[in-house]
Amino acid sequence: MQQNRRGLGPLSRRTVLIAGASVIATRAFGAPDAKGLGTAEQPVKLRMIADAAYANAWQAGMVPEFNKTYPYINVTIDPVPYAELLAKIMLDATAVEPVYDIIVADDPWVPQIAQTGALLDLRKETAAWTAKDYDWDDFNAAPLAATEWKGIQYGVPFRSNMLLMFVNKTLYKKAGLPVPTAALTWDEYLAQAPKLVQDTNGDGTVDAWAIDTYFKRDQLTPTIWQAIFNSYGGQLIDANNKPAFNDEIGVKALKIHVELLKYAPPGSVSHGYSEALSSFRQGQAATSFMWGSVYRNSAVDPKTTKLTPEEVGIQVMPVGSAHAGAHRGIASGTIQSKSAHKEAAWALLQWFSSREGERWHSNTLGGFPARKSTLTSKPDSDWLVPVFAALQQGYDTAEAGKMWRLRHPKSDAVQQVLADAVAAAISGQATPEAALQTASTRVEKILK
Amino acid sequence: MAILRATQGSARHPRIERLADFASRWAFMTPASVILLAMLAYPIIYTIEISFSELDLSTFTATNWVGWDNYAEVLQDERFWASLKVTGIYLGLALPLQMVLGFAIAYLVNVEWTGRGVIRALFLIPMVVAPVVAGGVWRMLLDPLYGLTNYALGFVGLGPYDWLGNPTLAMMTIVIIDTWRWTPFIVLIATAAILALPRDIFEAAEIDGANWWTTLWSITLPLLLPMIAATFVVRWLGAVKMFDIALASTNGGPGASTQVINLFIYEEAFHSLKFAESAAMAVLVLIATMVLTALFLRGSRMLEEMH
Amino acid sequence: MTVTVSLTGRRRRAHVGRSLRIAGGITASLLFLFPVFWMILTSFKQQRDIFTTPPTFLFTPTLETYITYLQRGIIPYQMLNTVIVAFGAGIISIVAGSMAGYALSRLKIRGATFIGVLILMSRGVPPIALAVPMFLVGRSLGLIDKHIILILAYCTFLIPYVMWLMRGFFMALPKELEESAMIDGCSHFGAFFKIIVPISLPGLLSTLIFCVILAWEELLFAIVLTSRNASTIPVAIAGIAGDTVNGANWGALTAVGTLTVIPVVIFAMLVQKWLIQGLADGAVKG
Repeated sequence: MQQNRRGLGPLSRRTVLIAGASVIATRAFGAPDAKGLGTAEQPVKLRMIADAAYANAWQAGMVPEFNKTYPYINVTIDPVPYAELLAKIMLDATAVEPVYDIIVADDPWVPQIAQTGALLDLRKETAAWTAKDYDWDDFNAAPLAATEWKGIQYGVPFRSNMLLMFVNKTLYKKAGLPVPTAALTWDEYLAQAPKLVQDTNGDGTVDAWAIDTYFKRDQLTPTIWQAIFNSYGGQLIDANNKPAFNDEIGVKALKIHVELLKYAPPGSVSHGYSEALSSFRQGQAATSFMWGSVYRNSAVDPKTTKLTPEEVGIQVMPVGSAHAGAHRGIASGTIQSKSAHKEAAWALLQWFSSREGERWHSNTLGGFPARKSTLTSKPDSDWLVPVFAALQQGYDTAEAGKMWRLRHPKSDAVQQVLADAVAAAISGQATPEAALQTASTRVEKILK
Repeated sequence: MAILRATQGSARHPRIERLADFASRWAFMTPASVILLAMLAYPIIYTIEISFSELDLSTFTATNWVGWDNYAEVLQDERFWASLKVTGIYLGLALPLQMVLGFAIAYLVNVEWTGRGVIRALFLIPMVVAPVVAGGVWRMLLDPLYGLTNYALGFVGLGPYDWLGNPTLAMMTIVIIDTWRWTPFIVLIATAAILALPRDIFEAAEIDGANWWTTLWSITLPLLLPMIAATFVVRWLGAVKMFDIALASTNGGPGASTQVINLFIYEEAFHSLKFAESAAMAVLVLIATMVLTALFLRGSRMLEEMH
Repeated sequence: MTVTVSLTGRRRRAHVGRSLRIAGGITASLLFLFPVFWMILTSFKQQRDIFTTPPTFLFTPTLETYITYLQRGIIPYQMLNTVIVAFGAGIISIVAGSMAGYALSRLKIRGATFIGVLILMSRGVPPIALAVPMFLVGRSLGLIDKHIILILAYCTFLIPYVMWLMRGFFMALPKELEESAMIDGCSHFGAFFKIIVPISLPGLLSTLIFCVILAWEELLFAIVLTSRNASTIPVAIAGIAGDTVNGANWGALTAVGTLTVIPVVIFAMLVQKWLIQGLADGAVKG
């Protein structure tokens, strides 16, 4: 044993030296895997942070598909629950040596992340690596604008979503009402609502209601109010960055949101995303203002829903005095400006948001596309056809009425204030007027 | 080992002996103090520092010293006071309920019989269920539409109650879920405490002909007092920080009727990214908690000395 | 004669009382376990059967959610992480905390009470305020996403609890115990580890269980301080609950919830024997 060790002495010392030197080299010149798109010997290692809702599916499905084209880029996606995702992103993005090369940011987050200097200007810095056939103009304006801030494009749409109206046609027919079209107005909708609160099986108790959607205290509940508000031509802030929602239109929209509660199932005051989905899927709500992405689990998959694609309609929300209603929710891929693997990261962003990537994504994982060409192409599943049509309607509506959350580094703080205001009005703890007055004062302070 | 040898064989060196004794006594405090100091000193200083500053989100460090601005901001915010009030109501309802229920159940469970071990182990489960799941399961049970509770109450002609939608009932719901979750902790500690009571005293009391009430009031309770006080302080410090249950079941609603202070701090920090203001709130909550804890400690010491 | 009669009378009453207590204990545990039962029942339902009016008891049970989530490699891995972190933090805390608790209750050291109260007070800091700076500390030490950072973070909130609870337990012990041990030539350490610890086993184990449970279900620090390598089950659960694509899958949530309960209950069952022994066998005889 001892002899052996002595014999190995010089050799191991040399090994240590080499190892040490290579460590120093790594430190000094960046990791050896940093080159371009990687090689078989030295693959590039990309780290990505994304919402846990799809990160696992992407890791299992998207990464292997991506590797068919780019075999030497290893991608690891860390799933983070949505509620803590922004804070996690901010903590990492501001590090001296950030862990993540690709940040998947939700719709309102780009201004606050970009403000810290953590995001790469895609059009400018990646031009050299952009494929010739990568068609920026093919994107719908609304989803692409989700990662635009002060004239700079920081990302590309990965997983687009729109707040739309889901319709249970069976319940409309039972109530003897015409199935809604995209031309349905709020007045018509509200006039029909009482008839949609009905006893469908004739046992003497009401078992179906007109609506279920976000009513509870939640950051996303104001999106319903805002969609109504926008459909009447309202805007959250004016040209001087001052709150502009505390007016007649704002109050009217909030009153409509509160009124919806009258036609919603008992207990809806505490309903949000998951609860509203449950009652719609059980066939207890004739309509739901919901994110389009839930269509499959609400209309197609018999394990999760009692409804079928034939009876579930999807379209923009009712029309106000200016537009139909909608609200944008785009998850986009962005690149960390300090990343050592920008070329590889951009390769992934390009591939995933390209025509092929979008088609693959929507056909296998059900992710919604942002490109006009993808939306007009024929999807593999028939049920996607009306969904694509509704999405296109939604993008056009959102673009026309600027239907998205505030574009500002303090966007999430504002959203929280709006959530408080809408919750106060819905629970009856404040009148719509008083709630918006308080919110307006607070938002003005935040934006100062 | 060195200490041990020193204490044993150094009768001739009283000073060394005293030093060794002193060191060995302090050695008991050392591990806890070192871990806490290492892990908490910086975070607490950081929190205090940013509570007086503007936080630069691009580095997460304090930039401009703003004095008491953040505190003024917080103290002027009626949401802060409202959430303190909500927290007070929740604590006032939940803590006494849990203490009484916990010790009562511990007393019931402590009878010697074969099923005791199993029951005690099963009693832990509510604590182990993740808050998110617990909140959701309770929502399922309480929902006016598909919930079992209202369905069952319907048979006796009551309800349906909107357990989560009515502001008063929503607070009751939070208290019920929290009690369901944390009474098992009190039961766990209380059973151990009751078991630790010296048995001969009770045997003597029984021979003296004391009835169970006298035994309970003048023997059991005084003996349990240090443990009751300790359990209360631990539960109090845990309950002040409650926000997971509120987050999972009501998210502070309806309106702001179940928005406890820690939920508010969490939202301000993690959703609104207002870390400086939330640090100021954290410091205020720390001070309030310290004052109240000191009062409880003083109170429990007075009770201990009385007996 | 009269004494015997009254004693048997009391015995009978005691017997009735005993049955009542057992019945009461069972009733209480049934009440407390009902939501757990509902959780387990739900975990075997298809998602469309979960939110029905009226609630369903009869349904075709499915193991699908269990199989799906156990096959998703990350859940078993996160379960292992949870075990490592919870027991790691629990054991370190119980050692450090009970020593401090002993110092506070028995060793008259000037200044120790002050430190003890300070340690206790440190629990007053809202955890949300600590998460970010702790992340910054962890990052500068290169410990982010390692088990040790989570273990140490959990120790900071477990040690004060252990210290205070064990102080209470130790104070209830008769003083003669260590006095006789010290006369026999034991040091403070000897007295503590050889005499006090074995006698306090029920208290120590109860407190350990409490610590393990607290660390077991902790979410905030787990989310902030870990991302993949040391990520724990509560993070997975939060991810399923906050599913922004399909809505919360309650079949999955209750299934994973049920799975996480099992190890702790098994552990509690295993240590039951010592929970009840301890003092009953030690102090009274000794």
